[in-house]
Amino acid sequence: MAKKDLIQGTLDMLILKTLTAGTMHGYAIAVAIENRSADELRVEEGALYPALHRLEAAELLTSEWKISEKNRRAKFYRLTPAGRKHLSSESSNWNRLVAAVARVMEPV
Amino acid sequence: MKWWAKLRRRSTLERDLADEIAFHRDMRARDAAPPPFGNETRIREAMREFWTFGGIETTLRDVQYALRGFRRSPAFAGSAIVSLALGIGAVIAIFTAADNLLFRPLPYRDPERLLMIWENNAKSPSVPGLSVSPANYLDWKARNRAFEEMAALEEFRTVLLDGDRAEQFRMQAVSANFFPMLGVQPLRGRLFTPAEDLPGALGGRLLIISHRLWRGWFAGDPGVIGRRVRINAEPRTIIAVMPPGFHFRNREVDLWSPIRLNPAYNYRQEGHYINTVGRLRSDFSPGQAQSEMSAIAHALEEEHPAYNRNWGVLLEPLRDSLVGNVKTPLLVLLVAVGLLLAVACSNVANLLLARYSARHAEIAIRMALGAARVRLMRQLITESLVLAVFAGAIGILLGWYALAGLIRLAPHSITRAANIHIDWRIVAVSILLSVATGVIFGLAPAMIGSKGNLAPGLRTATRWGSSGGGNARAWLIAGEIALSVILLVGASLLFRSFLKLTGVDAGLRPANALTFRLNLPPAGYRADGKSTRFFVEAIRRIEQMPGVRAASAVSHLPFDGESPSTWIQLAGQPAPEPGKQLLAAIRTVMPHYFETIGIPLRRGRDFNPSDNASDAPLRFIVNEAFVRKYLPEVDPVGKRMQAWMAPINPFGEIIGVVGDVKEGSLEQSAVPTAYYIHAHNQYVGMTLVVRTEGDPAGMIPAMRRVMQDLDSTVPVAEARTMETVLGETYARERFATTLLGGFSLAALLLAAIGIYGVLAYAVSERTQEIGVRLALGADPWRVVALVLGNGARFVVLGLGVGMAGALATSKYLATLLYDTGPRDPMTFLGVPLVLLAVALVAAWMPARRASRLDPVKALLGEK
Repeated sequence: MAKKDLIQGTLDMLILKTLTAGTMHGYAIAVAIENRSADELRVEEGALYPALHRLEAAELLTSEWKISEKNRRAKFYRLTPAGRKHLSSESSNWNRLVAAVARVMEPV
Repeated sequence: MKWWAKLRRRSTLERDLADEIAFHRDMRARDAAPPPFGNETRIREAMREFWTFGGIETTLRDVQYALRGFRRSPAFAGSAIVSLALGIGAVIAIFTAADNLLFRPLPYRDPERLLMIWENNAKSPSVPGLSVSPANYLDWKARNRAFEEMAALEEFRTVLLDGDRAEQFRMQAVSANFFPMLGVQPLRGRLFTPAEDLPGALGGRLLIISHRLWRGWFAGDPGVIGRRVRINAEPRTIIAVMPPGFHFRNREVDLWSPIRLNPAYNYRQEGHYINTVGRLRSDFSPGQAQSEMSAIAHALEEEHPAYNRNWGVLLEPLRDSLVGNVKTPLLVLLVAVGLLLAVACSNVANLLLARYSARHAEIAIRMALGAARVRLMRQLITESLVLAVFAGAIGILLGWYALAGLIRLAPHSITRAANIHIDWRIVAVSILLSVATGVIFGLAPAMIGSKGNLAPGLRTATRWGSSGGGNARAWLIAGEIALSVILLVGASLLFRSFLKLTGVDAGLRPANALTFRLNLPPAGYRADGKSTRFFVEAIRRIEQMPGVRAASAVSHLPFDGESPSTWIQLAGQPAPEPGKQLLAAIRTVMPHYFETIGIPLRRGRDFNPSDNASDAPLRFIVNEAFVRKYLPEVDPVGKRMQAWMAPINPFGEIIGVVGDVKEGSLEQSAVPTAYYIHAHNQYVGMTLVVRTEGDPAGMIPAMRRVMQDLDSTVPVAEARTMETVLGETYARERFATTLLGGFSLAALLLAAIGIYGVLAYAVSERTQEIGVRLALGADPWRVVALVLGNGARFVVLGLGVGMAGALATSKYLATLLYDTGPRDPMTFLGVPLVLLAVALVAAWMPARRASRLDPVKALLGEK
């Protein structure tokens, strides 16, 4: 499977988007991204946890220690309203970027 | 995450992250074949980078590091903290005292406009402020324009009688405008009116009491206004209570009554016995007022030459009259404190410089490993600040105790009029001083220490001076020594002066002597001879007590305030011109007074009981000063003299001559004095003098019982030993001497620490060089001399500069010195010797260490 490097901001956006589906812990987020991208995107733990904590510091997420489905303690993350707003602005930026790149790459 | 949440212990956060990662790992393991997890350490490090909390955590870490460093070198930390704490403590104590005594505002309205109005006599210019004659006061009041108000007061002791309790208190009789002039209102009740301040029955019944008396004696009785008591057996009604803490020039006064001067009466021949104070008009300056008052006094001299010749007026700001003769010692102390602080700070600077030089290698390594220079400086400054905080805390404690000790040591006359408590502004300034010292002295070495070319630090061989600290430190030591010398010279001069002072023979024998005061109510003892009989009986009863050798009485105890003076006239001499009359102090005594108190009899005889009858012939005893001045070269015994005490003054025979008592202060020569026997000058208040076998203080309770039996309405007041009374006289000098002595010792200690530090550093820096020399066969002591030689240069330099400075400034101490010149040779020879001795002692240990160095170890660069 090819590993693709993701720009940091993009990873943030993916995390935020994933969390619109509900509250989840770090592992669940990584699995969700892998699945949604059909295994194209693989999130490294070394990138995931710093990103999660950074988002939490920016108050785009909140966290809570809870008992997971396997009866173990895990840290669950949740979107804040600020997080939702950030997500919508980031995703519109992303769409504009993608469209611009596509226009440039069109056959001349 | 909120910032305070971030301050949770690092370990908790680490644990949480470990849990999170462990969970992730486990989940992955349960699922499909796990790829390698990834470098957990790298994850952790990434998180840690994320976790720099900035300012606070860095500082906390620096503080911890600093504390660890101090624990490793306790000598350095201890010396630095002690030095700084000494300086700060001294500053707090002295500045608080100075602030309270010299600068605090007085509790009256516009106190800067209040002036004491004294008289002065051209014939005794050394005595600046004398009591005022009421006649002059009335004339001044009528004629002046400079003062918007002038008030009079008179102070004396009285006996308060309430029910069956009797006790002596101090009272001020004041004119009706006194309280309004000061701008003070009573807490309860009302002040007396000008109409009540006139002679006649009305005003004589009024009494105002102090807050302290109300709370204490009257137990806060809410109905105290209107209460009836007796003053000196005369009925009085209390009409007011003054606010807490109110006082005027004397904190021990508890009673006020109207002075009741009669404007129509001619007080000219009653003498000078009141004090006057005035409020300056807003458009007059003190200088203008002084000119006007002097002019008025001059006019009065012309109008009443017999009484006013040579009498002038002296104005003195109220505050000066309170602070008066303590100004010079306090200013000297302020300077001394400044010097001490300078010594302390330079010591600390020295220590810090040494420390950073020693850590040169460490700093160089850290910078080589990539530490930011700012970060290093920040750490060094933090260390200095931690030192400063510790020193500040200890210094405040020291200052507190020093202030308490200062107050107890200080002459009673100063502290009696002051309420000294620590001002929080001064504490704040001291803390700021601490911090500033920490920052400045942390900054300089930090700049030097962190700027360096890394190479010398990383090499192990360094020479003295290359690290940039060495020379600076030597100069600092020289400066410290110079300052210490100045302090030491000052202290020694004062000490010698003090020794001379206390060695002076007072003229009586204070050991084993007890004194106390008895004031009879005038009303009951007006009959001729009644008071004499009372005192005779009192003395008889006391002499019968076990442990008492002798007892007698005197109207005015020596060294306890002034006795009144009047003119005397010798038989057979022409009447002197006005202004040239002969003056003598007058005292009244009971028989055998001189023997009891220890004044030697020089010629003739003492009074005996048969003299002590009102129908016995009038007789006088005079002192040697009297004879020297007025009856030189003749035998005074048998000569006749009179003293102006009343409209008619009979002549009496001089029957004896006694030794002089150095009155007023031990430095002035004795005043001519003439003594009456009690029967011929019947004071109702006398001070009893008792000579005891053993400890006089222990006999006081027994005395009280005996007097209680004799007459319970006459309380025993001011019971103390004669030594206590004498002690107050040179309390001022003892105070200044002790303080300056303390400072000098502290400065000496600091200088010793500094010298030790510099030399120890020199030895450690030149260890390799010493090793080489020793290995080549040099005599160890030559090596020591070499090392110390450089340091000695600076010690001698400091000594020289210090001596020069001391020579230049010691003249400012002249007013405090008794029989000791400000250039006293013994002092100026002794101090350098003492300092050299101290320097040698301080140098001893490093020198020994140098001579004992193992050459091999030294060469290897181990320390």
